[in-house]
Amino acid sequence: MKLRNAKRIDFTGTCPEFDFFEKFSEATIDLIRNKEKAEVVIVIDRAYGFSPSHLKDNLAEPHLVSDHLNLTGDNPLVGPNDPIGERFPVVNSIYLSAADTIDQEETWTMGNPLSKLRSGIVAGIKPGLVPSQADLDLVYSMGAHFYNWNTVPTMIVAAHAGLKVLALAVPEGGVLPPQVLMAINR
Amino acid sequence: MIKSAPRTASEAVIALKKLSSEVPVAAVVLGSGVSVLDKLIDAAVLPYQDLFGMAPGVVGHSGTLTVGRIEVGGPLVAVLRGRFHLYEGYDWATVTLATRAIVEWGVPNLLLTNAAGGLNLDYSVGDLMVLTGYRDHLNPELKNTGLIPAIAKPTSDCRNRLTEKLITVGEKLAITAPQSESRPLRQGVYAGLLGPTYETMAEIEMLRKLKADAVGMSTVPEMLCCDGTSSLGTTTLGTTTTACAVSVITNVWRPDEAMGGHEEVLEASKNASKRLDRLFRAVLAELG
Repeated sequence: MKLRNAKRIDFTGTCPEFDFFEKFSEATIDLIRNKEKAEVVIVIDRAYGFSPSHLKDNLAEPHLVSDHLNLTGDNPLVGPNDPIGERFPVVNSIYLSAADTIDQEETWTMGNPLSKLRSGIVAGIKPGLVPSQADLDLVYSMGAHFYNWNTVPTMIVAAHAGLKVLALAVPEGGVLPPQVLMAINR
Repeated sequence: MIKSAPRTASEAVIALKKLSSEVPVAAVVLGSGVSVLDKLIDAAVLPYQDLFGMAPGVVGHSGTLTVGRIEVGGPLVAVLRGRFHLYEGYDWATVTLATRAIVEWGVPNLLLTNAAGGLNLDYSVGDLMVLTGYRDHLNPELKNTGLIPAIAKPTSDCRNRLTEKLITVGEKLAITAPQSESRPLRQGVYAGLLGPTYETMAEIEMLRKLKADAVGMSTVPEMLCCDGTSSLGTTTLGTTTTACAVSVITNVWRPDEAMGGHEEVLEASKNASKRLDRLFRAVLAELG
């Protein structure tokens, strides 16, 4: 899967090469739907509430998102269908794994830096909501490993537009490793 | 943008009374591609456009209400082909409009149908599942809270006299049907999700953990209208309308199988409609 023409969306404000959005909005949708030659959307978003099973030495690390639970109570595709995609999009197998980006390796000298990241399932929470510990325990028991606010609606719009998503979850205060940034930058 | 129907339930009832002076013994709502009770005796048809001031926009829904008898001298029934959905951008009042009109008309029995994805791995495509419970994951109230409160909430039990009748009659039919057409009538919990996206595999696993057997994008608002338990504060109409629902299982979510699209849903619904037609005719005959 070629990352070369990917749409690059950053909700963290730490990736200067990316289009920065404070939060998911109509502007994000417009950027995704104006897809030009893109096959992929790369999304970088903050993530919070990492489950104990996904901490290393009690610290949260950047993760690749492998799947999601939409717990926002909403869906950006509600309303008349935009003809760019199907009325009922199938959203399975939309998230790219490190292995899916293997054809980029010709440009990497040290192997695939994405493969060094751990993968996890993100719970998309209603924007602005901060879940309690009891809420988080429930979310973990449902299969998620961390939560955030923007990745899920972004992925849904991308899937509807026929794009795959490479989603990176960065813990609060953290940044992506330089090798990962190099790998996903133009 | 949220869309609202231009008519009220009371206005729809005026049109219904003009269509038929006799109140039907039951109303049947047909979901995507579900086709039963096609040939009614003395049928009178009213397009949704004339009844509600608008027509459904989803493929597989014709958008008509037919009143007629299932046989000469048999019970009078109303068949509603199509519904309005929250994912289309309609508000709660519009999504429940048809049901509220049926309730206000005084129809004592409401049989709902839907096309649903199977979560229970014992199920097969084309199975019929009578709802014994449902989960409300589509209520507009959840836009304010997110879905965590819905996950924390227990499943709503919807077993009632009509559900029991469906199960009893369905089990009898399964025994007496030719072996090639016989299938067990499933009983299970339906999870109503907002849509319009189908579920991710992680969401499928979550719903399985919540003991849901099937998943779809409708039916729950209508059930809430009839049992008066809507957390939205929808008017409890003091009705004696009893609702039951049957899901047509149009696919079964398995990790190693690709998910089809809406066309697959319509095809599977069509194939199961024959057994559902037999079931509903038998149940309606007993209600009459």
